[in-house]
Amino acid sequence: MTFTPLRLRAIGGESEKALFVNDAGRFFLGSSAFLDRMDLEQLSAGDLAFLRAGGHVVERGDALGAAAHARGVADRIARAGPLDYLILVPTLRCNLSCSYCQVSRVNENQGGHDWSDDTLHAVLALLDRLDAAHVKIEFQGGEPTLRPDLIRAVIDRCGRFERAEFVICTNLQRVDDEILALFDRPDVFVSTSLDGDLSTHTRNRTGTAEATSAFLGNLRMLAERHGPTKVSALPTIDPNNPPDIDALLDAYVDLGIDSVFLRPINYQGFARKRHAASREQGDGWRGYYESFVRRIIERNWADRGRVLEETYLSIALRRIFQPGSERHVDLRNPNPMGIDYVVIDHDGAVYPTDEARMLARSGVVDLSIGNVAEGWGGPTFDLLNANSTNQFDPDCKRCAYQPFCGRDLVDDLARYGRIDIQRRETAFCRRHLHLFDLAFRLVYSDDDAIRYSLARWLRLPGEPAAFGQRLA
Amino acid sequence: MIPLMRPALADAEGPYVTRLRTSRIGTASDDAILIEGADDGSVFSGRLGLVVIDGVRAEDLDGDIVLVDPRRGRVERLLRVGSTTNTLLVTERCDQLCVMCSQPPKKTHVDRFDLLEEACRLAPDGMLIGISGGEPTLYKERLLTLIERTLAARPDLGFHVLTNAQHFEASDVARLGRSAYRRVSWGIPLYASEAALHDNIVGKEGAFAKLEEGLAHLAMAGARVELRTVVLSDNIDAFPALAGYVAARLRFVEAWSIMQLEHIGFARNRWEQLFFDHVQRFGPIAEALNRALLHGVRAQLFNFPRCTVPAAYRRLAIASISDWKRKFAPACLRCGERSACSGFFEWHPDEQAALAVQPL
Repeated sequence: MTFTPLRLRAIGGESEKALFVNDAGRFFLGSSAFLDRMDLEQLSAGDLAFLRAGGHVVERGDALGAAAHARGVADRIARAGPLDYLILVPTLRCNLSCSYCQVSRVNENQGGHDWSDDTLHAVLALLDRLDAAHVKIEFQGGEPTLRPDLIRAVIDRCGRFERAEFVICTNLQRVDDEILALFDRPDVFVSTSLDGDLSTHTRNRTGTAEATSAFLGNLRMLAERHGPTKVSALPTIDPNNPPDIDALLDAYVDLGIDSVFLRPINYQGFARKRHAASREQGDGWRGYYESFVRRIIERNWADRGRVLEETYLSIALRRIFQPGSERHVDLRNPNPMGIDYVVIDHDGAVYPTDEARMLARSGVVDLSIGNVAEGWGGPTFDLLNANSTNQFDPDCKRCAYQPFCGRDLVDDLARYGRIDIQRRETAFCRRHLHLFDLAFRLVYSDDDAIRYSLARWLRLPGEPAAFGQRLA
Repeated sequence: MIPLMRPALADAEGPYVTRLRTSRIGTASDDAILIEGADDGSVFSGRLGLVVIDGVRAEDLDGDIVLVDPRRGRVERLLRVGSTTNTLLVTERCDQLCVMCSQPPKKTHVDRFDLLEEACRLAPDGMLIGISGGEPTLYKERLLTLIERTLAARPDLGFHVLTNAQHFEASDVARLGRSAYRRVSWGIPLYASEAALHDNIVGKEGAFAKLEEGLAHLAMAGARVELRTVVLSDNIDAFPALAGYVAARLRFVEAWSIMQLEHIGFARNRWEQLFFDHVQRFGPIAEALNRALLHGVRAQLFNFPRCTVPAAYRRLAIASISDWKRKFAPACLRCGERSACSGFFEWHPDEQAALAVQPL
């Protein structure tokens, strides 16, 4: 008999002591009685049958059990395919000045912060060289709609792909006919920020009620013109001054948007000084996050006609149950840098992630790995990729959530200036321990309202008898 | 129903494969070209002489790859150009005897691999070719050779092989892992996670243990597997446990097809004993679907007319029945979901079909 390694985490009450997770991410909730039996090496026949069926024990001669375990472990390892996801920054100029701007934007009328002709040509040449059949291209800024001509040039060059999807990340302050023509394309999607009700959004972003109204008018116009799937919106939350949960949800529901990606202020750019507390996410943020999730569960149960979700929790749940179904590049392991996606800045510099670009802009550390004209690689690229896994981290390898979790080097560098501090001392780790603790408390809840929401977030037609197994 | 076998007269001595064409444009040396057509039959002329085919209009045959068998006086339409479901029967022998077998096995085997390989080489671009039996892997070497030689010559084609997976060995793993096999998927029946129940249904002691071995080899080869489970009175209550088993041990499969019973073969005479009416009690199937989908196993329903499935699960009920053997009840004419629906097997009793449907 061979045990496949189990990791433990206390999440239950007195009688249900611990969550047991193996390297393939299969899990069950074990009682303290079971824990004792395991400790004393007195497993019952029933225990063994349970462990065997769940893939926690592979017996000699069980070729299928061994194969299933091997495939299960492999499924947890992210594979980076060919480059098929580009984040493009055609300009760093912006017509807003948000208090927590992550990228140190420049004023709208400042010169020298847009793609040069050479950079544009290099980007187009890069598009011509891509091997992928499907591509996703995201326009970031600055405010990319200040240069609709550059957006158009990129889109026009993508005709050869089997499928191309474009996301324009915009503040929607000004939408003229030229920009609207871009938004009207079926392959173009709009991503924007909506921090909650009018006053919160004004305080954080626009500065004036008039500017907020202009934004909301444009957002509503787009949602009405193309339906809610056209637009996604994210709130940035100041944990020291969070918006009322129902007011925030109503602002989204009003627009027909059911998925809300709740993000705390990112410790980047201007936020490093103006929101210094954002370096650590404290209990305040975690409490707010959990209340938010509890509230959407209640609202989903009260109104079955509409399923609200917190996007990141749904991503975490899919990573628990459905490895391989999710390609969220901020939560994966290993997290290859500069391979399947890159960021191309306003000056043609290439970064592995958008946060890496922000760090360089803030003068913290230059994580550029090359430029679009000459290509990328070299020592920074190699160093990042050599450290992109959580597999062998001393804390992670004992952690029950390692199979579901990820690795974010750039986040560590942003907050601590280094990547070798103990994992459990990082904001990334605390955030994800909390997230997965919450997820598993929901998984093992018998509350019908919770079970209903879980099933919807996991895209199931109905509710299974149980989301997780228990061993008494 | 589209007839796959037609009476025919031919000049040739022995059986051969040819492509039927109604015009000379773009023809190749293996083609037989129409020289005379009428509503009740057509005459084609090819390299091996004339072939006269009864009862099909020539334009319905254009492009078909047929096996002409002069001694038996018939042609068999092996690959129909317009159809997405073409299946080659490679043997009628089988080492299992499933209680509901839709195509009861025979003792004798007629080796047609060479002719079938010729047919595959003539297949239209990109065709997915089904291979069935009997049990195709009883002739594993012949089968794998056909697949490999065909894909070497025609890398655009794909194969879907129905097999009981009793005959894969550790020594096959490297071979099945070769890149050509990315274009091959294996449809494998599994009826319960309890060995005795599975063995009982397939009529072979030790079949479950052997199946687990075969699946292990396929898993290690990275082979593409579609699991298939027929719903029976005997195994309906074992479905939730089976879903748990699939999620824990067979999560690597590409799909898990849960199939409603076909009213043919052994099942025709044992219908009362075997058939489980999911309309009366969908619970065990719902639980199985939810458990499998929860763990990312792509579960789907075959041969479940959409209106017989609760609305939340309807998207999983796909148009699974091949065109040539599919029919609808009269009331289905006004159904809005007919094009996405499996319909019924041609041999399903009309009275039952009429009672079952509620147009959507």
